[in-house]
Amino acid sequence: MDMKELEQKVRPMLIAGRGAEVETMIRPLLASGTGPVTLWALLAQALRVQGRVLEAKPIQEMLVDALPGHLSTRFDLAETLLLLGEFDRGWREYAYRYSLAHTTRIERKVQRPRWDGRPIPGKTLLIHDEQGYGDTFQFMRMVAWAKEKSQANVILEINHETASLARRMKGFDAMTVRGELPPYFDVHAEMMSLPMIMGLQVSQLPGEPMPYLSALPDRREHWRKRLEPYQGLKVAFLWAGRPTHFNDANRSMGLEMLAPLAQDGVTLFSVQKGPKEEQALNPPAAMAKHVVSLSPEIRDFEDTAAILCEVDLLVSIDSSPVHLAGALGRPAWVMIPLLPDWRWLQNRDDTPWYPSVRLFRQTEWGQWGPVIDRVAKALAELKAQKAQGRA
Amino acid sequence: MNTQPQTTMTVEQALGQAHAHWNAGQADQAERLCQHVLALWPGQSDALHLMGLMAHAYGNLDLAIDHLRRACQAPRVPAVYLSNLGEMCRQRGLLAEAEVAARRAVTMDNTLVAGWNNLGIILQEAGKLEDSLSCLERVVALQPNYAEAHNNLGNTLKRMGRLDQARQRYEYALNLAPAYAEAQSNLANLLNDLGRPDDALAAARKAIDLNPRLSDAYINAAAVELGRNRNEDALRWIDALLSYAPLHAGALTVRATALRHLERLEEALADARRAVAAQADNGEAQNVLGEVLQALGQHEEALVAFDKAAKSLGFAPEKALINRGVLFMERGDKAQAKAAFEQVVAQFPRSASAWFNMSDLHRFQAGEPAITKMEALLFGPDPVQSQTDRTALNFALGKAWMDIGDGERAFAYLNEGNRQKRATFTYDAAATSRWLTDIATAFPAATFDKPKSPVAGSELAVFVLGMPRSGTTLVEQILASHPQVAAAGELSALNNLVNQLGPYPQIAPHLTPEILGGLGQRYLDFVRPLAGHRRRVVDKMPSNFLFSGLINLAMPDARIIHVRRDPVDTCLSCYTKLFTREQLFTYDLAELGQFYRGYERLMDHWRAVLPADRFMEVRYEDVVDDLEGQARRLVDFVGLDWDSACLDFHKTQRTIRTASLNQVRQPIFRSSLGRWKPFAAQLAPLLSALGVDPNAPEAAAPQVASPAKKAAPKKAAAPKAKAEAPAAEPAPVAEEAAKPARGRRKPAAS
Repeated sequence: MDMKELEQKVRPMLIAGRGAEVETMIRPLLASGTGPVTLWALLAQALRVQGRVLEAKPIQEMLVDALPGHLSTRFDLAETLLLLGEFDRGWREYAYRYSLAHTTRIERKVQRPRWDGRPIPGKTLLIHDEQGYGDTFQFMRMVAWAKEKSQANVILEINHETASLARRMKGFDAMTVRGELPPYFDVHAEMMSLPMIMGLQVSQLPGEPMPYLSALPDRREHWRKRLEPYQGLKVAFLWAGRPTHFNDANRSMGLEMLAPLAQDGVTLFSVQKGPKEEQALNPPAAMAKHVVSLSPEIRDFEDTAAILCEVDLLVSIDSSPVHLAGALGRPAWVMIPLLPDWRWLQNRDDTPWYPSVRLFRQTEWGQWGPVIDRVAKALAELKAQKAQGRA
Repeated sequence: MNTQPQTTMTVEQALGQAHAHWNAGQADQAERLCQHVLALWPGQSDALHLMGLMAHAYGNLDLAIDHLRRACQAPRVPAVYLSNLGEMCRQRGLLAEAEVAARRAVTMDNTLVAGWNNLGIILQEAGKLEDSLSCLERVVALQPNYAEAHNNLGNTLKRMGRLDQARQRYEYALNLAPAYAEAQSNLANLLNDLGRPDDALAAARKAIDLNPRLSDAYINAAAVELGRNRNEDALRWIDALLSYAPLHAGALTVRATALRHLERLEEALADARRAVAAQADNGEAQNVLGEVLQALGQHEEALVAFDKAAKSLGFAPEKALINRGVLFMERGDKAQAKAAFEQVVAQFPRSASAWFNMSDLHRFQAGEPAITKMEALLFGPDPVQSQTDRTALNFALGKAWMDIGDGERAFAYLNEGNRQKRATFTYDAAATSRWLTDIATAFPAATFDKPKSPVAGSELAVFVLGMPRSGTTLVEQILASHPQVAAAGELSALNNLVNQLGPYPQIAPHLTPEILGGLGQRYLDFVRPLAGHRRRVVDKMPSNFLFSGLINLAMPDARIIHVRRDPVDTCLSCYTKLFTREQLFTYDLAELGQFYRGYERLMDHWRAVLPADRFMEVRYEDVVDDLEGQARRLVDFVGLDWDSACLDFHKTQRTIRTASLNQVRQPIFRSSLGRWKPFAAQLAPLLSALGVDPNAPEAAAPQVASPAKKAAPKKAAAPKAKAEAPAAEPAPVAEEAAKPARGRRKPAAS
């Protein structure tokens, strides 16, 4: 079959998670052990969407070896390696995240050199955050480590929305908000280049201090009062990520799917923000008496942080509040897809990044039902424990 | 926020903030501030300059140059803007404008390090190497830890042929900046020139590891593989480059060369044309287009391409002028060829390749200045350093002293040239001997008793084979002078087709009639277009002797002509020659003798098992003694009627593409007979390997098997073709080997 035709046919199948079918189609074409690069790349992706990442790795490594200048292949390999916990090469290949068709124009062309990881006492290092809020919450912890290692004067440049939380964190000398003119600096580093520059290992996680973020006392007081009238287990929840995220269809779900969490003795507080937050105002009838939407009242991440400190638990899909909960040291249960984002690693229901976070993994592509059932069961157990504790 | 220009802001403040924003990578704010300034003060130099820098960073080179040209029109333009304009013009290939701008910069401020650096690389590209050197030496004096300047200095030194010094500079740059990909890549190129291909490849890999989009590193890696004739590996490097830069002229140029080596000439032509279309002023691309056209026999067009290349900058002119000479030589225009090489030597007195080719056309006399000049290039105060250049000069000088008859000196050079060449590859003589024996064993006599599947039209194919330098070209030319015969030259086609079947000869027991028929068909499909309307096509790849049995099985009506010559004369001739293609067994006298013995045994086997109407042998010495008799025998054997044009083979206008090129243009070389005897002392290792006693009166004249069944009738009245011996056997033409294979060497600008 013509390679273009095959690719056109197979790509939608891979997006739909039909990896096994694609594998069956492609394997015979590669039986001789040699074949076009495109076919190998499709096979690697077919294995990945089946969750067989370890099998995809040697194919992806071979592709990078054959076409070193094909940078999106290198980024794909980075995702596989990081998912497998192979941080050394993983972080190095992750450096190509701005070399993809849709990212080259957004790379920031800083005209000063990048910090190389060596001590630079007396110099000024600008660390700037990148795209998602979750990334920023997760990698903020490294700012203090970078300060220690560089012995530099560290300026943290951060997006407007997370700046107020970051400001109370230790480990930098000055802060500037994205878009503003930063003070003079000698070298710079993207926040998510710090792992590569500093050679971050899984064994170094979660690192010190933990937690590294805190909520504002007066906001906590406000939300404590707001939640006071509700009895039983208080659970904050959200079900949809930013719809423009490249993997959103794979990570998000509908509010109604979470019905099994609507248990007696549990109040579900919606902390969903964005286009889907309205759903919580009109939940399905079966959930209605258990769901309270806080969404319209949440003004910023300070509110979210305070709520997370005042509830018993966050139940969420893979989205930025999970990282905020983790950074605050608050309990969070995360429902993640079969082929998750690289940061959740594989074959474990905890995460080295956040001691307070527990993972609930899909075992079949696109199937949230069994995942939610497991969350519901765990919720019932937690409720029972809490009742016992109080008794 | 201070991103919106304030109306109260002064021009100085706005510019200061614009620069600070740009330093921080905040392009939007920087641009807005520049536009604000330009609205207040159209043509403001600093704002235009910053806009130019930003356009450059985002890859809009033409726009950047446009901004900088306008910035540089200001009466108080700072020197550094001129220096930047110079560099951008260089990147755009506008060398004249670049030089003017950079010179203005350093005239204005003679301590401007960046200005001297930029001027240095502009002059380097323009071929003004002495000037470039002094600029760059000034840069490293002003700023000793400037890694880029050391790298650039290395490039200039390399272009001057001062390879040792260039290497020191690259290594110094890498010491200062270990992750400096361009310096790694340049070092790779240099190590290849120094005859260290493995180290060169390792350096190129390292460069690609540091910067996977450094195209020069891929091209240098491919050049290493081209240099050692691993064309498929070269293609892999190039395809990796083209996967992200599909119109890269340099990559297409190298791919065209690799494809030409693989005889995939139509593909090679397509790539060479695309390269020229992508970058019409690329001299390398024009030169390679010429080489491909030459291989396709399109001489007039090839000459046009060589002429264009000769007018370009860089290394291409030298190569193109040499190629012109080789083309004239192939067409049999010796005088024009000689004039062409003399012109190259005059223009590039250090061109080893030019001297090498010229020596092939020239009969040297004692006391000639040319010899002194070549010797000075090897041993003078400023010797050539490229390993391929030194090897070529050794062979050229060996040829010269052999002309003069000074065996001792001739062999001193030949031994050194051969030793150098031999050091560039690995070769296992014992394994090769075993392999030759295995081939005979794999095709026992019984194989040929079975009825053969008839392959339609296989009488088209005529194979002339034997040892290299045994007279295969002479026999080909005699046959090719017949109006019904086309000469295809030395084709790799059969070798390639056999390799596709599997390892040879292990595949022998698995060859079904279908597979054999398919092999024959594919070969015939390949040569049919070369035949035109003629009834026979001669493939004179000597090494096809390995496949004689297979040829008979796959193409039962194909004719095989084995050319034999005195073993010592044959081996001596091989030893004096620097081959274009890999002939790994010819660069050591003992290995050469050992190979010859293996070849002899294999041919004994083929003679015993192949039918006499499909396999004949002809002795070179007999052709020399009795041209007409042997010519008639050959024509008869291939099944054609006699044509007297075959006696005028030296007048044939067909192109000759082989090492024996100058030789067959002579009527016949009687001096090629028994030529080795005066050099018996120097040939001792060969004689011992061949088992030849130098003192025996009629040493080692090989016995030739009985001629083909139908002996050609001799015309008693016809006079024998008169053989003349105008010159001793000429030294070889090694088209590829003689042209120093140079990779690219773009300097990294700062």
